[in-house]
Amino acid sequence: MKLTLHVWRQKNRTDPGKIVTYPLDGVSPDMSFLEMMDVLNEQLIKAGEDPVAFDQDCREGICGSCDMMINGLAHGPERATTTCQLHMRSFRDGDQIYVEPWRARAFPVIKDLCVDRTAFDRIIQARGFVSVNTGGAPDGNTLPIPKTVQEVAMDAAECIGCGACVAACPNASAMLFLSAKVSHLGRLPQGATERHERVRKMVEQHDREGFGHCTNINECEAACPKEISVEHIAQLNRDFIGSTCSSMVK
Amino acid sequence: MASATGTVRHPKGPAEPPTGPDAAAFLKALLDSSVGAKALIGLTGVGLVLFVISHMIGNLKIFQGPDAINGYAYFLKHDIGSLLWVARAGLLLIFVLHLALAIRLKLRSAAARPVAYAHPGSVQATVASRTMIWTGVVILLFTLFHLAHYTFAWVKGAHVPDPATGQLVYKNYLDLVDHKGRHDVYEMMVAGFSNGYIVVLYLVSQVFLFVHLRHGIPSVFQTLGLKNARFHGPIDILGLVLALLILIGNSAIVVAVQLGWVQSQYKTP
Repeated sequence: MKLTLHVWRQKNRTDPGKIVTYPLDGVSPDMSFLEMMDVLNEQLIKAGEDPVAFDQDCREGICGSCDMMINGLAHGPERATTTCQLHMRSFRDGDQIYVEPWRARAFPVIKDLCVDRTAFDRIIQARGFVSVNTGGAPDGNTLPIPKTVQEVAMDAAECIGCGACVAACPNASAMLFLSAKVSHLGRLPQGATERHERVRKMVEQHDREGFGHCTNINECEAACPKEISVEHIAQLNRDFIGSTCSSMVK
Repeated sequence: MASATGTVRHPKGPAEPPTGPDAAAFLKALLDSSVGAKALIGLTGVGLVLFVISHMIGNLKIFQGPDAINGYAYFLKHDIGSLLWVARAGLLLIFVLHLALAIRLKLRSAAARPVAYAHPGSVQATVASRTMIWTGVVILLFTLFHLAHYTFAWVKGAHVPDPATGQLVYKNYLDLVDHKGRHDVYEMMVAGFSNGYIVVLYLVSQVFLFVHLRHGIPSVFQTLGLKNARFHGPIDILGLVLALLILIGNSAIVVAVQLGWVQSQYKTP
């Protein structure tokens, strides 16, 4: 396959950056998108240029490291797919491909396609955890949890925190990420103690980081490689309104 | 017993003042956070939709004839007394709140993405959902025109026969009076919708309102957390049906006057 790549190149955090065009030949349709990027980087290294920096780790779609906006779509054109699991057979010979980093004020570009996603870590630190007693591990099944609750919590727990929801959202809102965590932890009995505090603290941190608001456009749902449903955002809104009202009563 | 400070001190120290609910934190959570402000936009939106529906039902009385709509207008203006001003103030408050919160959130969201994508893409966002702020601004401008047109009657007047001479005279909308001495709303509406430019303006604005409500009504359920996957379909249909009913109901009045189904009470020479 012959491709023309338009890649965002940015030396460091302060560099304004620009799109640079690279022709690329000899790409196999069986390569993953990241393997195609490896081919490009080898070509650049041989030419004595700086290779394109991009985030990657497991290359099997479970770590949430890879982050590329491919032709304006987070993780490329396939549904429920991370960039590393996207294969070049999804493209045609002679295609023009735009590769850009996630764009959000809360996700500053470090270099080329790498963005700083520690804003997500700070949201988790705000209250995205459960408090458990130390000591011996509790016996299995001592805490009965209804099947439906388990399933919905598991659906939300699938979130790998890649940030595609922020990248796809026209408002750069992290509501889908936030709601996945709130819904996952709040529904289970282990996380129920902090349910009310959690939702308000996490939303506060989300706003402080400079993410936008949710306008129910549902682009995030389509971009999410784990297909987290916007149903969880409704759950987040429900929890937030309930928590705010109950804070008034104490 | 008097002491150095003049009062008896409790051996365990002064009691801490009782802490009640924190109203400031509550208001801040509602007005300032992205989720709380969105919930308020949704709630005020519900109020505005209910107003639009009742306004439409009231105006549809024009099809019952001059007596029905003039009587209804008289009832609103004179029979409910000071409640009219309570309703007007409430309506103004939710209108301003709806707009101000939406514009504030929109400005924050615009700042949330300082660098745009070179190749923008979209999968499933509808046009209505992406243009809420713009359709909203158009509806604001239309509302201002609508107030100037009928409430303040700054735009134009109507030619009606003078009861004494029978000659056609030009009168301001607010000076139109029917045979029972009430404000002649019927004649005002017929005169208002006889102008081609104004008709086009009203019909286009109604389409903008339709687009705004097409996304807004289903979106309220999501924002207030009253939606799940099971109710997604019915809520979407409810939004479409309500928005369509408002479009058809409001446009029917304008179209009926244009087609001559609703005519002036006075014979025009």
